[in-house]
Amino acid sequence: MNTLNEQQLNELQKDLDTIRDEVLADLGERDANHIRSMVRLHRKLEIGGRVLMPFGFIPPVFLAATASLGLAKILENMEIGHNVMHGQYDWMNDPSLNSQTYEWDTACSSESWRRTHNFEHHTYTNVIGKDRDYGYAVLRLSNDEPWRPRHTFQILNYAALSILFQWGVALHELEAEKLSHGKSHLKEKRPFLKLAAKKAGRQAFKDYVFFPVLTLPVAPIVLAGNAVANLIRNLWSSTVIFCGHFTQDAETFTEEQAEGESKGHWYLRQLTGSSNFTGGKWLHIMSGHLSFQIEHHVFPDLPAHRYPEISEKVQKVCQKHGIHYNTGSFGKQYGTVLKRILRHSLPERITRRPAVA
Amino acid sequence: MLAKITQSKTLHWLGRQLSNSEDPRAFFDPLTAAMNPMWVQQYTPARVERITAETADTKTFELRPANRWGGFKAGQHLNIRIDIQGVRRTRTFSLSSSPALWESRGLITLTIKRLPGGLVTNWLHDDLKAGDVIGLTEAFGDFLIPVEKKPVLFIAGGSGITPILSQLETMALGNYPEPVTLLYYVRTPNDVIGKEKLAALAARHPDFSLDVITTHESSTPRYLNDHDLDSIPNLAAREIYLCGPKGLMDLATEKLRQRDIKAEQLHSTFFAPPAPAQISSSDIGGQVTFSASNLSVDSIGDANLLEMAEAAGLTPQHGCRMGICHQCTCTKTSGTVVNRLTGQVSGPGSESVQLCISIPQGPVALDI
Repeated sequence: MNTLNEQQLNELQKDLDTIRDEVLADLGERDANHIRSMVRLHRKLEIGGRVLMPFGFIPPVFLAATASLGLAKILENMEIGHNVMHGQYDWMNDPSLNSQTYEWDTACSSESWRRTHNFEHHTYTNVIGKDRDYGYAVLRLSNDEPWRPRHTFQILNYAALSILFQWGVALHELEAEKLSHGKSHLKEKRPFLKLAAKKAGRQAFKDYVFFPVLTLPVAPIVLAGNAVANLIRNLWSSTVIFCGHFTQDAETFTEEQAEGESKGHWYLRQLTGSSNFTGGKWLHIMSGHLSFQIEHHVFPDLPAHRYPEISEKVQKVCQKHGIHYNTGSFGKQYGTVLKRILRHSLPERITRRPAVA
Repeated sequence: MLAKITQSKTLHWLGRQLSNSEDPRAFFDPLTAAMNPMWVQQYTPARVERITAETADTKTFELRPANRWGGFKAGQHLNIRIDIQGVRRTRTFSLSSSPALWESRGLITLTIKRLPGGLVTNWLHDDLKAGDVIGLTEAFGDFLIPVEKKPVLFIAGGSGITPILSQLETMALGNYPEPVTLLYYVRTPNDVIGKEKLAALAARHPDFSLDVITTHESSTPRYLNDHDLDSIPNLAAREIYLCGPKGLMDLATEKLRQRDIKAEQLHSTFFAPPAPAQISSSDIGGQVTFSASNLSVDSIGDANLLEMAEAAGLTPQHGCRMGICHQCTCTKTSGTVVNRLTGQVSGPGSESVQLCISIPQGPVALDI
């Protein structure tokens, strides 16, 4: 981690707060129009996908229907749900865009997500031992964690996690690794399990029971199409998220480093623990602007469509303080993610490389 | 009947499963609103038919609510819902037309005075145009004309006349059999709202007497006095309705009490707009009510709402305690709060606030 002295950290805080204040003072119709147009686009894509799906026995229609439904789920999860639940649009005072009541189209309940993601992950970003999003307790992604034989084929775990991503996220709060180590008991998890079962049941009912049964003669096609749409969304969101925190240069921190930190220090940790990727407007929208993961982690509750314009200012601040701004093309960043997963599959004595992360 | 209820319950359940929303109608509203704003289902849309000036600072807005709107009784009010600069604002206004107009022609009117510095009233005056669509709630309020026919005295001040206009017209249409008196306090003759309507009512109905009293025409203001009340025949037998600025309401209530008017005879409705909030350390603090838990605590502005709730033994959901994670966001139902991070002051109505960075500014009610 870059070391800045207390005075530099204070200055960093001031610089970033200034950017934040400028955006807050400027929030208004432009932001409301953006999120509402995204909501409209989501409705069109979802309705389009659902209506076309029963005609999926015609192959091009199947492609169009699954693409439409898959894109709908991506847009709703990434640019709408995730961002709304961060409170980015609470200022609009619109109950349908409220962080505390919004329920998104994925297996994880919003309530659980707000605990594990908004609070745990965003407060303790990349602090090994406290941020359970770091490797999801499934993957070994840094040398801070001792190597075990089970890590050898973790690339397969990674593939399974990506394919079933929404279910992994849904069960994240269960803390299965603690259960298996006897550090917690299933009994304590009962309220969570009840909540999770309700939400997951609702999602499964919708995609795998209701719509197939509704279109009975072609039920298998609708079932398959819905499953593919979910798969598309799972693979994409998992990839975006891995590119945001597990690239080559994304730093990790120890609990001691993060203890009693100042706001400036917290900012520094967000800046160096996250990574961006570059691309066009729609790549950013479809990633919920998590292509600007750095800006998102510094300002999680500013409307995400502002991150591209904020980014230039954040980069200047990073330059000024000599902080590495971790960005690159989507392909390059993803490449380093795969390398990281593979490299940490093996113990250091085999990879024979110094501990970088 | 039972089949119908079960069916609609089942449908509602199904809607929730499919749309991930407690209000499944919310799923289609963004699309239908773009096609025709009158098709919105989450609230009642109303089209602005006509806007007419009453006085220099008061306008009457004639609205046509969607058919499903439930109607109202004379003297009630409703909330309007509009978006200004991307922010949804809710404000309460009295209906100034009679329910008969809604029943016969599907129209209602709101008569609204421009408040100095008022965000919503000025927007309504300057930006709302005929043809626009705004949102409405159902009507509410119990400032209602007597069911049992009795002599009535109305005491109104300024724009406090608006619910009374609706009541007077309704009574006139129903040929109210008892004497009705209106004491109407305005600053100058130019400030009379509903001038023609009132004059026509007085001309047509001998049992209705109208007394317009101007308060600011001489060097010393002329407020409600004993003589005004003494001149009302049979005051003790009347149902009395008060609506106007706080000063007038307090003065009238006090003088009526002195005349042994019983509390049950007295009906009043609040009409004092909240003063524009100022940021200064001196006016911070106030009583905080946690309405869902039935608890109140006093604050001097040295603690945020989250700390106060916890000190009161409540356990609201929270997270980072520094305004980042929005875990503690909840609904403030009334009062204003200051955002400790931005120094920004909230609006007076219902809105979301982050407990961990909000400090009360005067009395505040929270839905926790």
